[in-house]
Amino acid sequence: MTATAIHARGLGKDFGAIRALGELDLEVREAEFFGLLGPNGAGKTTTVHLLATLLRPTRGTARVAGHDVVREDLETRRRIGLVFQETTLDRDLTVEQNLRFAARLWNLPGRVAGPRIDELLAQFGLRERRRDAVRTLSGGMRRALDIARGLLHEPRVLFLDEPTAGLDPRARRSLWELIQRLRSASGLTVFLTTHYVEEAEPCDRVAVLDRGALAALGTPAELKRAAGVSSLEAVFLARTGRPLAESTAA
Amino acid sequence: MRAIGGIVARELLRFLRQRGRLVSSLARPFVWLVFAGAGFATVFAGAGAIDYRRYLAPGLLGMVVMFGSLLAALSTVTDREAGVLRMVLVAPIRRSTVALGKTLGATLLGTMQAVAVAVLLLSLLQLWPGPAGLLLAFAAIVLSGLALGALGLVLAATMRSIENFAGVMNFVVFPMLFLSGALYPVRRLGPWLHVLVHVNPLAYGVDLLKHALLAEWAGTGYGGEMPPALDVAALLVFAAAGLAIAAALLGREGGVTRTAFRSPA
Repeated sequence: MTATAIHARGLGKDFGAIRALGELDLEVREAEFFGLLGPNGAGKTTTVHLLATLLRPTRGTARVAGHDVVREDLETRRRIGLVFQETTLDRDLTVEQNLRFAARLWNLPGRVAGPRIDELLAQFGLRERRRDAVRTLSGGMRRALDIARGLLHEPRVLFLDEPTAGLDPRARRSLWELIQRLRSASGLTVFLTTHYVEEAEPCDRVAVLDRGALAALGTPAELKRAAGVSSLEAVFLARTGRPLAESTAA
Repeated sequence: MRAIGGIVARELLRFLRQRGRLVSSLARPFVWLVFAGAGFATVFAGAGAIDYRRYLAPGLLGMVVMFGSLLAALSTVTDREAGVLRMVLVAPIRRSTVALGKTLGATLLGTMQAVAVAVLLLSLLQLWPGPAGLLLAFAAIVLSGLALGALGLVLAATMRSIENFAGVMNFVVFPMLFLSGALYPVRRLGPWLHVLVHVNPLAYGVDLLKHALLAEWAGTGYGGEMPPALDVAALLVFAAAGLAIAAALLGREGGVTRTAFRSPA
């Protein structure tokens, strides 16, 4: 039996009169590569922030890495990594200083943090830049450092919220290869949100979110088969009656 | 505890990397000493009792702590705009720990700057309060740093962007300075202003510094004006209240959290 990494029941969030997320039921298995696909404003980021304990749900419950996101928020945060849409690095500090700062926030002792930082810098191709200020890095390198920061404390679940947003195609491709490699790393559950269909294709399972509600859930192959179409783009169109690209632009 | 150390260390690293901030924070009190000192000395009623520049010393040190600690805590606003605050808020630490780390970082910066200025200023004015006086002055600086750092954090948590900064300077920093006793004794201010003096943390800090540095002139009416125990108690109350309020503001959803994680709404 596979363990559950994320378990949400009737999870929802309102901002005033606006219903950002309806009632989401979701299960993500341990070590799964899970994609949440939907246009901007569909509720993807709200979902991630609810699961990462940064927002309190208006209704429903969620457990992440075995902990209730409301009652055990610190325990939950200890076991998850979160990479935001926008960078969270201190631009004035160096690559290494940023990771050292994060290591202290996550309560990693120096003797653990040192080798771990070396390992991540090598893995993410940042070893040569470790003494450079973050402000001098390219967008792609900053993103890679953001992800390295998210993995520093060896989380069980890694949330990547639109990790390739704002990157040029080349940086997007190399970041994508990095994420693919992470995925094969042992035991890490990856929860990815994206509005790029091609990024959802390699996921084990994909949930299609539209206007705060789940429109479809399954493996990319299942979704395509069920909708009788050949691409996830067409699945979105079939399920919501609107093309993904158009709603993204809107 | 490691998280608090991390937050404090980052504040220190940032400060040391910003040369301009370093230079201006050290030069500012001497600019005041020369220009405000020369001007106010001509109208200073206590000229027969004490040299005005010496009278100004505790106030200038208080000013250094205020700029150092209050402005360091206000840097939380920049953190929020730059996204760093999100990294801090997603870490497995309590909001009160974040508030404490930020306040201690601000206190450390204010204290460092004030100590550096004090060495120069006291030598320049040949003001020698003795070991006990120096120790009390150091305590006054640290306590003022805590109180003003906590206050700065409360302001930062209620401000949406750094654009409000000018407002803070005009409506918080300057009134606090003028109602602190830094430039003139507060006892002759009218009853209304006197009430404001008593809700001004800097007034207690400057008063404690006067007890420490101007003990020799206590009999002339140009030393401390309030009991030192009251100064200490008031500074501690301001620090504790500020920390509690800042922690609550940082933890509240829809406050910093909501702004830091721009909701889709």
